[in-house]
Amino acid sequence: MENLIFEKKDLYNPIISTITNVEQLTDTEKRFEIALPENQILNHKPGQFVQVSIFGFGEAPISISSSPTKSPLFDLTVRNAGRLTDKMHRLTVGSQLGVRGPFGNGFEVNNFKGKDILFVCGGIGLAPTKSLIDYVLANRNDFGRVVILYGTKSPSEILFSDEIEKWKKDKSVELEISIDRPDENWKGKVGVITTLIPPLKLDVANTIATIVGPPVMYKFVLMALKGKRVPDENIYLSLERRMKCGVGKCGHCQINDTYVCQDGPVFHYPRVKELKEAV
Amino acid sequence: MSSTDVKSRLESFNCYYFDKDVTQKFISFLMKKGDVIAPHKTGELSYKYEIVSDATEVVLNYSRTILPLKKAFMPPRETLINFNIKNNQYTKPQISTEPKIFFGIHSYEMQSIKRLDYSFITGLPESNYLTRRENCKFIGVAYKPDEWHFAGSVGIDINETDGFCLYFYPAKNGYIVFEITDEGKNLLDEFGEGSEVTDEYLKLNEDKFQAKIKFHHNRIPEIFTHVYNSKVWEDVAQKCVGCGTCNLLCSTCYCYDVHDEIELDVENGQRDRFWDGCMLNKFAEVAGGENFRDNLGSRNRHRLYRKFKYITNQSDKLHCVGCGRCSRYCPANISLVEIVNDLIDDYTKQQQKEIL
Amino acid sequence: MSKPKIAFFDFTSCEGCQLNKLNLENDLLDLLELVDIVEFREAMDDKADEYDIAFIEGSISTPTCITRIHDIRRRTKILVALGACAVQGGINAIKNQHSADWVKETVYGEDKYLFPSIPVQPISAVVKVDYEVRGCPMSTPEFLHVLKSLILNRKPEIFDHAVCVECKLKENECVLDKGMFCLGPITRAGCDAICPTFGQYCTGCRGVVSNINKNGAVEMLKQHGFSTKEALNRMKMFCTLELE
Repeated sequence: MENLIFEKKDLYNPIISTITNVEQLTDTEKRFEIALPENQILNHKPGQFVQVSIFGFGEAPISISSSPTKSPLFDLTVRNAGRLTDKMHRLTVGSQLGVRGPFGNGFEVNNFKGKDILFVCGGIGLAPTKSLIDYVLANRNDFGRVVILYGTKSPSEILFSDEIEKWKKDKSVELEISIDRPDENWKGKVGVITTLIPPLKLDVANTIATIVGPPVMYKFVLMALKGKRVPDENIYLSLERRMKCGVGKCGHCQINDTYVCQDGPVFHYPRVKELKEAV
Repeated sequence: MSSTDVKSRLESFNCYYFDKDVTQKFISFLMKKGDVIAPHKTGELSYKYEIVSDATEVVLNYSRTILPLKKAFMPPRETLINFNIKNNQYTKPQISTEPKIFFGIHSYEMQSIKRLDYSFITGLPESNYLTRRENCKFIGVAYKPDEWHFAGSVGIDINETDGFCLYFYPAKNGYIVFEITDEGKNLLDEFGEGSEVTDEYLKLNEDKFQAKIKFHHNRIPEIFTHVYNSKVWEDVAQKCVGCGTCNLLCSTCYCYDVHDEIELDVENGQRDRFWDGCMLNKFAEVAGGENFRDNLGSRNRHRLYRKFKYITNQSDKLHCVGCGRCSRYCPANISLVEIVNDLIDDYTKQQQKEIL
Repeated sequence: MSKPKIAFFDFTSCEGCQLNKLNLENDLLDLLELVDIVEFREAMDDKADEYDIAFIEGSISTPTCITRIHDIRRRTKILVALGACAVQGGINAIKNQHSADWVKETVYGEDKYLFPSIPVQPISAVVKVDYEVRGCPMSTPEFLHVLKSLILNRKPEIFDHAVCVECKLKENECVLDKGMFCLGPITRAGCDAICPTFGQYCTGCRGVVSNINKNGAVEMLKQHGFSTKEALNRMKMFCTLELE
């Protein structure tokens, strides 16, 4: 111990930040825009997450849904599902909350440059993906085709309808939405997200696919991509686990020898294949 | 290092003889330098590390303490921050860096601290643990293995002195005290007592472990690359009740959970962390309710893989130190050594099949 | 929530959980600052029509219980079950292990027809229970935790791991080790292992952890010298319904 040189860190001190905007996206999801104090920049990569805390209500990992190009402000899109998120949904503009991070690896955007990108997003999985979509669209000329596949259970669960409208109008974006359980007003496609994959025409060797969604979705999307002959090396997944610390200590997010909070949440598919208990 | 190497190395250190009185005087001497933490008797059959208030209460011929020494550096419950809900302000509690001397520590326990050091330094070095680790001296004592100790099987000799500044070895009516480091030598010089060791006293016994893993410790990680789907895990799951005792008492486990608790004024509170364990029901559950290790077989497997493979892949050391606590205190009498030996049998059978 | 109106009701029980609240002593005064107690038979005569939080002690064991609990559920925003009887049927549910007729005969003799009695059910079998405070008697720190949480409008933190966890954190000498019986390895934590801490064994009053390995538990107790019959009998003392 005496001869080890390292800089020890206070890992659990949150930065008290302020909510600058709140937007109700669906019945259960809200988008919060956050400002760190004194115009500090979060300095995140698409796909990373932060640990959000509210005193008395605990802490939870929440992925960042805005692109770094939005700095110094950033967005968190939150489903009201637990102790912390329930309280978060009751906060308003000007309320404070604690932020630690950013944590995790995020997407290696430089490896994606020049490639076609296929975003596969199930449900709330659109939130972390949106940080990457926004980044790609902000640097549109660096990338090839942009194909977004989005599936939700019902039309009322569709997130980011404003952005979706913009994407629909954007000639450089190909967007497909499929609904599992449509209502009478739904005129679009019906079915689980995997049904959107077979009809696609892809230059698979030059296509990067990202998959983010609920745990049950991964296996089926991977099978569908395999059917399209998308090489495994071109596939990236973001995995959800219940990180308690975000700093590779508490053990909750561990898959085999891997801490999702450190080596993930974004994983290259060949790596995920080596892991058991991953998807 | 083989036992003979350790023995000859031990014999190369300068040493003194302390009888029982001098040993107690030495503990009192140490108490003037800071908190002395040493094993004490608790209940009829058990021991625990406590701050010494009376040197005569220290027990040096103990088997093992209930909780491992990690409790001194990562307390079972620890406040990370104190907060106020109304004004959103918080403070981090001060962690004392006053000198601490750990007296009467077994070699496997010392090695468990080295393993924890690795875990808390790797990646992001954590201040809570590392601050508590400052200003610590460790004084070892030899032990007689009982039926649960198996440190030898994981490559830790009874008389491994790595990490200690002094090492106490039982002799007639007292101890031979070996000067392991300069720090230890300085302590003994300042103390100024103890007599020369005559040949009559310097008889180092070769204590044998009763519990043994069949393979050499260098081969254990190799086994774990082949037994992920072994039936052994199902067999363990039949017996295991998932109480988590093995996790909580493990000297190298450090998983934790964090909760906010509020005072009765509903305004002030604290964010506490406390020991958690991968054997517990909800440990691997995610927000939607999906549990990635929802049965006792997969949970036991994860626990052992953390000891013999996952962290080992990176640190190059087994993260089981053979203290035997998980087996000694398991209410269902599940033995870690037996599990590993069953896995070895399974692996050997697999290999024989492949050859045939 | 500003000073929530809270009420306490007792069903089939010994009322020990309610008395336990009166034993809060120091905390009781602080508690009264936070809430408005509008109905509490053990301590006062007042009655009210609506409540923010209703705490229910005891189990359902007569047809009247069912009518009454539905009525309370209608009048309260949040309903919390207090103690083993309310949460899992508790000791009362032992009667379900025998024929209803035999039970009535044994308890009331010739007058058995005067007493309508139905198999014991936990509160959650009849109405929606929002939160639970387990134990016999209920654990007061956990009760305070739930109350503080509800005042703050947050979900309480309820554990689903074994008493062994808390017992080990306190570094108690293992009760099974001392040759005593103990259900700590399969009983839900939250009591801070109070019985083993004071040299007693865990009777399992807080109910079993979820996904319990029942056969494993019986085998475990057998290894410590307790027959299958004895193990099951003791496990069923508080958990008849959970172990069905």
